[in-house]
Amino acid sequence: MTNGADTLLLRTVGLSKIFRGDGVSVPALRGVDLALHPGEFAAVIGPSGSGKSTLLHMAGGLEPPTSGEIWLNGQRVDGLSQARWAKLRRRHIGFVFQFFNLVSNMTVADNVELAALMGGATRRQARHRREELLAELGLAGKADAAPARLSGGEQQRVALARAMANRPSLLLADEPTGNLDSAASQAVLRLLATAHADGQAILLVTHDARVASAADRVISLFDGTVIDDAPMVLPRLPASPETSAARPRVRAPLSDVLKLRG
Amino acid sequence: MRAIGRWIRADMRASVGQAIAVAGVVAGVVTALLLSAGLLQGATNPWQGLFTASRGAHIWLHLAPGTDADSIRSLPGVTAISSPEEATAATMVQTWQRTRVELRAMRPVPPAIGRPLLSSGRWLSRAVPAGVVLEVTLAEAVHAAVGDELTLDNVDGSIATRVRVVGLAETADQGFYPDQTPGLIWVLPGLLQRVEPDAGRTQKVVGLQIANPARTGFVVQEVVTQVGSSAVGSVSTWQQVKQSMARRNPLLGLVLALFGLVALGAAVLAIINVTSGRVLVQHAELGMLQALGFTPAQLTLMLTAEHALLTAAGIVAGLLGARLLMPLLFGAVPGGSPASVAVPAGWSALIVGGTVASVLLATAVPAWRAGRAWPVAAVRAGPRGHLSRLATTAMAARLPPAMVLGSRAAFVRRMPAVLTVAGLAVPMVMITIGLGFWATLDDVRANPASVGLATVTAGPGSLTMAQAARLIAADRDVQASYRCVQAVGLVPGETTTITTLAMGTSRRPYPFVVASGHLYHAPEQAVATQALLDAFGVHVGQFIQMYFGGVPVTFRIVGRIIDPQYGGEVLAYGTDTLAYEGAPMATGFYSLVLRPGVQPAAAASRLRQISGGRLDVGLVSNPGDQLGVLRAALGALIVVLALIALTSLLTALRVGIRDHQRDVWVLRAMGLTPVQVKTAVVVRTTVLALVGVTVGAAAGRVVSSYLISAVSQAYGLGAGLGRAASAESVAATIAVAVIGAAVAGALSARTDSQNQAAVVLGP
Repeated sequence: MTNGADTLLLRTVGLSKIFRGDGVSVPALRGVDLALHPGEFAAVIGPSGSGKSTLLHMAGGLEPPTSGEIWLNGQRVDGLSQARWAKLRRRHIGFVFQFFNLVSNMTVADNVELAALMGGATRRQARHRREELLAELGLAGKADAAPARLSGGEQQRVALARAMANRPSLLLADEPTGNLDSAASQAVLRLLATAHADGQAILLVTHDARVASAADRVISLFDGTVIDDAPMVLPRLPASPETSAARPRVRAPLSDVLKLRG
Repeated sequence: MRAIGRWIRADMRASVGQAIAVAGVVAGVVTALLLSAGLLQGATNPWQGLFTASRGAHIWLHLAPGTDADSIRSLPGVTAISSPEEATAATMVQTWQRTRVELRAMRPVPPAIGRPLLSSGRWLSRAVPAGVVLEVTLAEAVHAAVGDELTLDNVDGSIATRVRVVGLAETADQGFYPDQTPGLIWVLPGLLQRVEPDAGRTQKVVGLQIANPARTGFVVQEVVTQVGSSAVGSVSTWQQVKQSMARRNPLLGLVLALFGLVALGAAVLAIINVTSGRVLVQHAELGMLQALGFTPAQLTLMLTAEHALLTAAGIVAGLLGARLLMPLLFGAVPGGSPASVAVPAGWSALIVGGTVASVLLATAVPAWRAGRAWPVAAVRAGPRGHLSRLATTAMAARLPPAMVLGSRAAFVRRMPAVLTVAGLAVPMVMITIGLGFWATLDDVRANPASVGLATVTAGPGSLTMAQAARLIAADRDVQASYRCVQAVGLVPGETTTITTLAMGTSRRPYPFVVASGHLYHAPEQAVATQALLDAFGVHVGQFIQMYFGGVPVTFRIVGRIIDPQYGGEVLAYGTDTLAYEGAPMATGFYSLVLRPGVQPAAAASRLRQISGGRLDVGLVSNPGDQLGVLRAALGALIVVLALIALTSLLTALRVGIRDHQRDVWVLRAMGLTPVQVKTAVVVRTTVLALVGVTVGAAAGRVVSSYLISAVSQAYGLGAGLGRAASAESVAATIAVAVIGAAVAGALSARTDSQNQAAVVLGP
């Protein structure tokens, strides 16, 4: 089906997820349609329980959808087996989680190189890529350290290096600053912005509006459905009285949206 | 593959203790199984090496003096015959003991067939006319060494000859002393005549080599026909000697096999526990590896490959251990090449293959389940449960919250709890059975009469039988004495000779322990052990015929007895049977039954004293002593089983700590003190340990009596012998296990409390 979908990096159609357990059904996502272009930085924002993490996990094949379609690079992937998903993730998808998720019994260098090796790099290539990434992220001196010895911010940077080791088409970040102090959060957001500037497509999930403001586009989820999807335009200081006439479209705060829905 | 290899290396480095435990468990199980296979197969047999080196004879004959041995040379199948040499019975006298021996005359030039292999000192030479060479195992048993001076008494003790030991030698003519008696001593022909000038008391010893060893029985029949059965004193074949040299200890082999197999089962349980536990503890990491791109098959392969490596290491260690332990356990084997102490290759392959398959299965199943789970489902996994009515009641009753929460936590994850309890109970069952065996051995050692052993024998020595009888009757420690004669019977068709026992008379039979039927009460009635009945293929009520000095005697088996002597193969009857049939009978000795509580060694030395050293007093070896090796093996097996149990416990700890970490700060926020929180961890592991070992001990006690009785009955030691482990030893074992669990829990609770809350509060 060609409808401009071929230019999209990620597309979901009517994506739904219902958690069943102990005779209770909990719908986490209800028919979500999403589209992400290559190189685009989108943030999914919403309160706790809105389904944003579920959306991200399904986009990366960490969880199977109940119904709906997922298209990645023009290929339908929602029905793939775990093994096929795993192979897809090696080269095309990088993950960053809230709680760092580094392999605890390996050094920082090993953690990054493991991802590269999984992607098919030789040992030399993996080593070079690791050195390059750690240097970029300011962690060159910590290559032989164990993850437990790093601060939260440093661990998250290692996770980022690991996620980008194979230059994936899509970077999925689930509350990457959720467990960090403000200084570390700023550092991580700067790194994401830099990666984006280099052409990396990012889908980021957060409950924090300030974190979401780093993205080009903000998708608001509430109770499993998309209630808003708009580009993020930062207000510019008017250069002259003439341009101030063109009022920039600014995102309304969430509370206003809720009032609208009544 | 590179990524998998890297993860395996990192993981093994990180959990060295667990890796060593898994490899150690596999090594212990493999060693036990290999040793048992070796013992059951009679692997340790130096016979072949000795036979080849000494150019041994396939058949040894003791012929009456004057028998024409030359006629044997021409029999079909006989390729060579040694020159007949003289042999006579004698008694070797040392300061502290008298030992019955057989003197064999040999020339200074060793013979072509059956030459003894000198292991120390020098061979006989005319320069030392009073020099003697002792067989190595005899020398070991009586603590004689090169250079020792001994006295040799002739059969009736009328002549004593001083001799000197000039050398020790090995032979393939006869099995090891004291399994085969009497001991062998080689002397010059002149010395033999000095010791025993009466030619009527000597025999001719002839060795035959035959073309086809498989037809040994046939050749023996021909020889007996040729020279007449009355001329044949005794026959021994290479098969008998080989069998007797095999360190075949079926009881020990069976025990090791039983424990080894159960240990393998317990090890499989422990490894399932370890792998499931690790999957549980590392589920977040395994989920993250899937996020990185590891497929489910790769995850399964990774975990299985890691355990396969550990298993391989364990198997190599087990093979080495078995090689080292076999000769160590059973002493240096004279004349044995390294090959003779190796375990048969077929059994090794079976054991190694079985262990690898079991361990891989134990690992692969939980690993496959781990791979199957979706990564996020894995990450979200946590124990599900609710506070049961029992727990809430306990809390309301103001029981210590640490106890209640800890006990509850032990069973919140059902499957791991079941695996842990089983992983502790199964080894405990075997440990309890092992303790029962130990107690039974102690019983046998302390009370040999329960297995039907007389403990002291007294030959007349230089006294007459009547004098000896009077002396013995006068001794207050002797409850009863019975005249005993060892008579060698030739079994037609079986082509062997066996040593039978004429003990007591039909009117006053020796009080064997009768398992079924009754004792002999008339001439020609006899009792036999199960092993002898099996060897002849007869039952109680059937007949056995033998020739004693050419006189045929037919016995009717009237009862089955328990007696561990002669390898458990005993045929006993009254001395009046031989007289009734007109068969020749030697003087014999007295078998003494001591009053309860009297120590055999003390009674023996007093008898020697009151007889002025003229009574030929000996001690009958107690199977309880010989089974010292069994105790050592049991001890080692108990250690292996304890290691298996420890592995299960440590796994339970790891899982528990992981769950506990989620909750510790919450519990503290709710008002539990740090001490109470730590106590909850300790209580959790202690409760699991207590349940596991108590279940195991109870099951073990029920099973062990039946099991030991069954085993000892099968080996002629008698039913009703089994004794369960004492309550004290079982209680002590339970206490050790529970205290160990508590200590382990306390140690891990201590390290755990140092974790920061932020790190700990995971998703």
